[in-house]
Amino acid sequence: MTPGIDLQGTFVRALTDLGLPAGAAKTVWIPLPMVLMLIVATVSIFICVWLERKISAAAQQRIGPEYVGPLGALQAVADGVKLIFKADITPAKADPWLFIIGPAIVVIPVFLSFLIVPFGQNLVITDLGIGIFLWIALSSITPIGLLMAGYSSNNKYSLLGGLRAAAQSISYEIPLALAVLAVVMMSNGLSTIDIVNQQSQYGILGWNIWRQPVGFVIFWISALAECERLPFDLPEAEEELVAGYQTEYTGMKFGLFYVGSYVNLMLSALIVSVLYLGGWSFPVPVESITALLGISETAPVVQIVAASLGIVMTMLKAYLLVFLTILLRWTVPRVRIDQLLDLGWKFLLPIALVNLLVTAGLKLTLPGFFGG
Amino acid sequence: MLNFLKQVGDYAKETAQAAKFIGQGLSVTFDHMKRRPVTVQYPYEKVIPSERYRGRIHFEFDKCIACEVCVRVCPINLPVVDWEFNRETKKKTLNHYSIDFGVCIFCGNCVEYCPTNCLSMTEEYELASYDRHNLNYDNVALGRLPYKVTEDPMVAPMREFAYLPKGAMDPHDLPKGTQRAGRLPKDILAEIEAEEAKKTPANAAAEEKSSS
Amino acid sequence: MTLATLNLAEGVQLVSFGLLGLIMLVGALGVVLLSNIVYSAFLLGLVFISISGLYILLNAGFVAAAQVLVYVGAVNVLILFGIMLVNKQEDFATVKNAWVGKAATGAVCAGLFGLLSTMVLSHPWTISTVPAAGDRAIEVIGQHFFSDYLLPFELASVLLLIALVGAIILARREYLPDTAIPTEEALTLPEKPRELVAAGSRDSL
Repeated sequence: MTPGIDLQGTFVRALTDLGLPAGAAKTVWIPLPMVLMLIVATVSIFICVWLERKISAAAQQRIGPEYVGPLGALQAVADGVKLIFKADITPAKADPWLFIIGPAIVVIPVFLSFLIVPFGQNLVITDLGIGIFLWIALSSITPIGLLMAGYSSNNKYSLLGGLRAAAQSISYEIPLALAVLAVVMMSNGLSTIDIVNQQSQYGILGWNIWRQPVGFVIFWISALAECERLPFDLPEAEEELVAGYQTEYTGMKFGLFYVGSYVNLMLSALIVSVLYLGGWSFPVPVESITALLGISETAPVVQIVAASLGIVMTMLKAYLLVFLTILLRWTVPRVRIDQLLDLGWKFLLPIALVNLLVTAGLKLTLPGFFGG
Repeated sequence: MLNFLKQVGDYAKETAQAAKFIGQGLSVTFDHMKRRPVTVQYPYEKVIPSERYRGRIHFEFDKCIACEVCVRVCPINLPVVDWEFNRETKKKTLNHYSIDFGVCIFCGNCVEYCPTNCLSMTEEYELASYDRHNLNYDNVALGRLPYKVTEDPMVAPMREFAYLPKGAMDPHDLPKGTQRAGRLPKDILAEIEAEEAKKTPANAAAEEKSSS
Repeated sequence: MTLATLNLAEGVQLVSFGLLGLIMLVGALGVVLLSNIVYSAFLLGLVFISISGLYILLNAGFVAAAQVLVYVGAVNVLILFGIMLVNKQEDFATVKNAWVGKAATGAVCAGLFGLLSTMVLSHPWTISTVPAAGDRAIEVIGQHFFSDYLLPFELASVLLLIALVGAIILARREYLPDTAIPTEEALTLPEKPRELVAAGSRDSL
């Protein structure tokens, strides 16, 4: 495997050359990837919202936002500005503290999970050993925020929505974790970098989606349920619960829920692309392209092109999945709460267990193909 | 054991079927994305109402004979006809006439049954107002002429799908003077009349004579 | 690594240890002392999260994540569910000689506190020289689970299985006698019964 570009090393070296002590240079480096990732996450909200509105419009033969910015691309910015300037109302007899903390608890874990999303061999904030497990653990905090928001709103719809959301999150976390476990078993590590590297050897043929088709479907369904996307958007089912736990929220507190849901969608899409679609790897391995063109793999130009190609590929795969989600939103009707729990506990969970078992068996019998 | 296997098989079959149906649904949704948007940017563009559009009712005060047929055929007896009996002319004189469009369902029965054709349907549909009592139109308001979308300089009139020329799907930027597919009703009528006149000129002449 | 980074890292560690300890203590006191049980439950989540922060400071990332997943994501959410789904308000009759129970509780707590503090004071606290397992912790934990800690591990899994079976039986209610479920009186709406209005009764006017 090529080491790829070491941005951190280069940056620190450049600063030490300028006369800064190495420790200070490292300290200057530390916040940079985090800020960059925050910007990426925030911009991805705008792109997601724009895609959602445009694709929804296209699926319904409408035009969609058109006047705010080119092709209505700045519509989400306009919405955000509107939310910032809206009156911030706390309902009477609501619990003011929990009411404020709730949305924050929903949003913070989602942003924290971007710690482990890789865009290249070294293009990740931290290559944690527990990698993907961190995401699972962090996403299990969200239900507490939802319960908090639902409870503190002093509204029966909010409470019901919060309870539904929490029930949905904790029941779909289990098939999600089992599907991830099967992937982790094949790549012998929880680190997202390891998982991608294990898939990137044979180009598109090596991606996990071919080895784990069932796991991919389970993961995708569970991720949709975790994000409360449309076939599973019961917690905010308009016809039944007004807007669920968001009912009493206005202004930027509502905006936080909104931001959280889109960042979560983007995050899930990125993680699916990392786990099953080969992350940053190109459908044809970069090594074979460079061999075909007769260039050295470690040439700086090739490295830069490969790194940018990796970022583009990751984003492309993620947005393809977002597109699928939006299309699914206008295709599949909302499930009932009992159907939702049935699907989670009686269908996905057994199948995820069987998938895990089969993967373990195949790993023992065909170690070459299933990661020995 | 066999029974259990059969159950598992059926379950798997149902799952595959559900997946197939979701796939079909997705393909339908995807297909819709390629189609032309039907959006009409309303205040700037308006659809030209079709010939038989049932909009706000127009009323001609002078033609009305206060027979109250419109009231009788109305499903909710809506039109208010205020008349007096004039003993000298032995005729009813109409004082006021009003229809409340907040209640009217635009069924057009009154227009159909009016013996003097003093009621007619217009193509006006923008009746919004801040007070529902403003929707109660009196004979003056009812007598106002409707304005045409095609003559409004602020509005780009859009033709409905059935009125587009053959092969055209988009009402925007049509070349000037294009006609819709097929022949216009008045052309067909003229042709039929000409044909009939040719076929039986004698009969037609006789008929005309007798009728006059 | 130079002195500057080391100092920075140590300073950050010290400050975060102090903060986490403070949050944990205050949260734990809040869990016990607050009268609103929902606050107690949310504060319990805070305590769990600060404990997982302490694990991170100890270089045990996996244990920290597992702490968050199991205690915050599952146990605490279940507790909250329990609190929010059970809303039967009941006025308890005052128990005679309630002080006996309180005194007994106090005695037990004081005894536990004494035991633990003697243990803390008597234990020779030395920092282990074995380097922290870090990212290899998962393998080490797995090896322990299937070698020297096999029996507790299997016993815990059997316990969980029993709980699972029990929960299913409780939920299905097939094996419970029907009389055990108390028949509640029919629910009534707090509205006034509406008088029927005859529609279109022209004659009555």
